[in-house]
Amino acid sequence: MTITLILAVLAFLALVFLVRLARGRASVSKVLENPTEHIRSVDVEAFRNLVDRDEEEFLRTNLPPAEFRKIQRERLRATVEYVSCAAQNAGVLLRLADAGRRSSDPATAEAAEKLVNNALRLRLYALHTIPRLYVGMIFPGARISPAGIAESYEQMTRLVVLLGCLQYPTRGVSAAL
Amino acid sequence: MTPLRLLWYCLWVAPHALQGIILFAMLRRRLDRQFPMFFLYTAFEVLQFVVLFTISRSHFHFGPGYARAYSVGLALSTAIRFGVIYELFRHFFRRYPALGGAGALLFRGATIVLLLLAVGLAVSSPGSSADFLLNATYALDRTVSILQCGLLISLFSFSRYFLLSWRSHAFGIALGLGIFATVELATSAVWLHLGTFGNPVINLVTMATYNGCVLIWIFYLVAPEREPQMTVNALPKYDLEIWNQELQRLLQQ
Repeated sequence: MTITLILAVLAFLALVFLVRLARGRASVSKVLENPTEHIRSVDVEAFRNLVDRDEEEFLRTNLPPAEFRKIQRERLRATVEYVSCAAQNAGVLLRLADAGRRSSDPATAEAAEKLVNNALRLRLYALHTIPRLYVGMIFPGARISPAGIAESYEQMTRLVVLLGCLQYPTRGVSAAL
Repeated sequence: MTPLRLLWYCLWVAPHALQGIILFAMLRRRLDRQFPMFFLYTAFEVLQFVVLFTISRSHFHFGPGYARAYSVGLALSTAIRFGVIYELFRHFFRRYPALGGAGALLFRGATIVLLLLAVGLAVSSPGSSADFLLNATYALDRTVSILQCGLLISLFSFSRYFLLSWRSHAFGIALGLGIFATVELATSAVWLHLGTFGNPVINLVTMATYNGCVLIWIFYLVAPEREPQMTVNALPKYDLEIWNQELQRLLQQ
């Protein structure tokens, strides 16, 4: 009886999930209409400092272990926040680029394709980086350095600029986005 | 004929008549080339209905001959549905080559985990019927339901996390199949608990759900595909500053 109940509840939850998903499909166009509401600020330089391995080694060697663990936890917490923001922005840019992939201009379509791939890689990277960062908070002595994500984010922002320039060559970046 | 019997016949006949429309629409829009397994599934469902309806009208009625034909049809239909799910996975990840490896991993991983879960459930809860063969059939039915429902939910969850857009046709097929799989999961669990097939209320619920799923397929396959338009106005200033800095750095390199 217990298993029957569990399966029935799981099936009901799955059904609710599917119905919500079908209704939520319209939200994709909302993101495209107004991406400003969905983009979160990411200071790439600060992010880069936070995940810098040399910086971490410097703190590790110059601080007492207890203090290092405390500071490292704070740094990792901030890193999780940055990675989450970068992943969210990647999601917004992914939708913008996905629409750009259907452009009749081959250069625009190619830039959009690259942006889609970069944004997907960043979200994939965020998917397995965030759990590692949480593990790092539990064991602050462990060496966890998600430096690659800052590079990936920078590469993505460059592609956004390129895509904007290709789509609106006369109006500049701000008009394009 | 009682009203309940009439309702039962309506729910039995209607989706297959509508599936004829789906076949026609798919051929006309050349979707049979994009979704050959779904086309095969729909065609098979229509054929199965014609055979079963003919048997039920003959001297066999709904006797053992009908039950045998129904069981064979159900097994084949279930196998084809796995093919449709695989086709959806392939169709979806073909659009995003960067996720190709992750997609294949997801399909294989989800299949193994769900299979282990379903087999574990089948062993721990073998069913209440005295007939071994009947219990095995119920357990198999539940295993298939868990696998199909789980695979579709995995695909939907994956696309939701990556905020990926579905083509309307593929989304419609997956949605209809997903809804039917969830209801089948619930009913298979109830069958196993009751130890007998044929509860009229559950039969009607399952049939009504299938009608709803066919309507979803018609809606998505007949309606013209909508493409999201890029109508973007402005992004916050601080992001533009960072991006402009990146552009400058890029130009200096």
